[in-house]
Amino acid sequence: MAPAAAANLGYTPPDGGWGWAVVFGAFICIGFSYAFPKSLTIYFKAIQEYFSVSYSEIAWVSSIMLAAMYAGGPVSSILVNRYGSRPVVMLGGLMVGIAMVTASFGKSIMHIYLCVGVIGGFGLAFNLQPALTIIGTYFHVKRPLANGLAMTGSPVFLSTLAPLNQFLLDSFGWRGSFLILGSFTLNCCVAGALMRPVHKQIKPKPNAEPPKSNGPAHEKAATEDTHAQSAGLKFVDWSLFRHRGFMIYLVGNVIMFFGFFAPVVFLAPYAKHQGIDEYSAAFLLSILALVDMFVRPGTGLIANTKWIRPRIQYFFSLAVAYNGVCHLLCPLVPGYVGLVLYAVFFGVAFGMVSSLLFEVLMDLVGAHRFSTAVGLCTIIECGPVLLGPPISGALVDIYGDYKYMYYACGVMMLVPGIFFLIMHYYNYKKLDEEERKRQSEAMRMRSGLSVRVEGEEEHVKMSQVDETADEADG
Amino acid sequence: MECTWTGNQNKLPNITGYWKKDGNEIDSRLTVPLENEQYNLKGVFDIVGEESLGNYSCVFGSEAKIEFVLAAPQMGEVRDKPIVSYAGDSVVIACKMEEPKPKPSTWHWYKANGTDKALIDAAAEPHRYQIHSEGGKSTLTVRNLTQADAGFYYCGAVYLISTSLGRLEVRVITFLEPLKPFIAIVVEVLVLVAVILLYERKSKKKSITGSQKTKKEKRENSGGEESSSVRQRKV
Repeated sequence: MAPAAAANLGYTPPDGGWGWAVVFGAFICIGFSYAFPKSLTIYFKAIQEYFSVSYSEIAWVSSIMLAAMYAGGPVSSILVNRYGSRPVVMLGGLMVGIAMVTASFGKSIMHIYLCVGVIGGFGLAFNLQPALTIIGTYFHVKRPLANGLAMTGSPVFLSTLAPLNQFLLDSFGWRGSFLILGSFTLNCCVAGALMRPVHKQIKPKPNAEPPKSNGPAHEKAATEDTHAQSAGLKFVDWSLFRHRGFMIYLVGNVIMFFGFFAPVVFLAPYAKHQGIDEYSAAFLLSILALVDMFVRPGTGLIANTKWIRPRIQYFFSLAVAYNGVCHLLCPLVPGYVGLVLYAVFFGVAFGMVSSLLFEVLMDLVGAHRFSTAVGLCTIIECGPVLLGPPISGALVDIYGDYKYMYYACGVMMLVPGIFFLIMHYYNYKKLDEEERKRQSEAMRMRSGLSVRVEGEEEHVKMSQVDETADEADG
Repeated sequence: MECTWTGNQNKLPNITGYWKKDGNEIDSRLTVPLENEQYNLKGVFDIVGEESLGNYSCVFGSEAKIEFVLAAPQMGEVRDKPIVSYAGDSVVIACKMEEPKPKPSTWHWYKANGTDKALIDAAAEPHRYQIHSEGGKSTLTVRNLTQADAGFYYCGAVYLISTSLGRLEVRVITFLEPLKPFIAIVVEVLVLVAVILLYERKSKKKSITGSQKTKKEKRENSGGEESSSVRQRKV
């Protein structure tokens, strides 16, 4: 049984056809958004030497870029609500391209901060949000699979951008590389071109549902629609903060993101700390990315099945908790073999959570309010995402040992996982109650309006009661 | 330098010991007594300069040999791949003597000239060269690069006993080189965007004319030509 929020789109999404081209476009956008900032670190040493700055000064570029990407979320949401995904993505692609080209002529580290960090970061924000949003408009039945496939862009792009960037640096130095990367990121505009606004053709729904439910359901959809649109034009949609599902998601995610990325950042240093050589340590990250690449679409496929889809929030909660368990067990398996095992299991955990991360939000708030919701989420999650790795680093420095950091990250993931499980059990119960109330109200309305043909009416009522009972149980 | 040897099975009371440098005997041979089950041979050498460096060995009779290598501290990781820079731009190359190793008294920079090394005098050409040395680190900045500036550069960490060298390569290219792939990719993007948008306009036109035709036909024949209208809509 699909949750109430998602069913009221007002039209039937294609769930295929051009939708798969849109998924490919989203794949490219998401790939750039997540992988591009990480892959730029390859140029840091060269830029650091050129401008004669310290390592922490150059590391600011990453932080500024990530911060701009998250802060740009709400701006991106407003633009998408107003103009649709396509123009925003094309603008974003253009922004990143111009940012990189300008940076290649930069005369000081400030230029790099502004161009790559601020403008580049905003450009990437204009890529990420619309890509996620448009999937919700094209897919409903196959949406978890579509989301999983699109999110696979991140590990695929990271695996290709890393060696590509090294090659560019060796061939053209950092300036030439930035110039070429500027043109490369213009491919986001190609992805944007693919994001054709969906054709909202209201087709009559298949006869599974009795006609009586269409009336009030459509009305509700219409009011929700206009409400969402007017909410999108406001600066912040405060009504989301009263949305039970959204608040559960937000609170859990804020805690979770403190411990989500740090283990990835510290995997190679932890390996080197144990005496493993640099290449084997880097290979661990490759294992992680490879496993991640296959787990994301796989998770999308599993989440789409009729057993998991109705209770997808539980699936997500378990994935988050599984992450926590992985980190807690990591310090217990020393040696390279232990680390390889950890990399594999962590790759599965990381891929599962990443694949479901936005799907569950869509599931909770529905496709209409998703754009605004994700904008709010990214700007609030900005804090833990940026603070997580430095805090973990501080833990390593204070104790001189990585295991406390892994324990901390494990707890940071396990607690939200359990939180999600409990809260969503409560939330599902509430949603079922509300659905049942709505069905019985609609039935009452209908019986009040129906003409007095006793026998027929009774027959209709009986079939309605049977169907309501079936839906409540499903 | 001091050598200690615990001896072999037949512990002779005395054994000849002497020092070698680079395979040649130095000083005279000594008679080393057995004390506390050990033979001790001590040698004191004055390190006066580069000639004092090399491989030293202490030899006991014809039985045991211990080797020492006396050298100036070597630089750790120096970038072996060329540093790519642009004509008209500047390049900064750096050498570092990492932490536990002693810091040199000064740094010198050389430019390779065939098999020779020419010392770079930053004071003589301040608009071209700038050397900034600070303890264990030194950087050379070359401004207004031209093709002639490409090639190998050597940084020398100067110690009293000798100078430790590191080699770096600088490549100078023009901006036209990265410009070629840049333009190629921009063209690719423009072509793809145009193709995608044109394809979309074409399929929109087809569906509009298709649905217009089906509407007309539906009005004209109410039920007869269902199949043909369905065929048109699919197109």
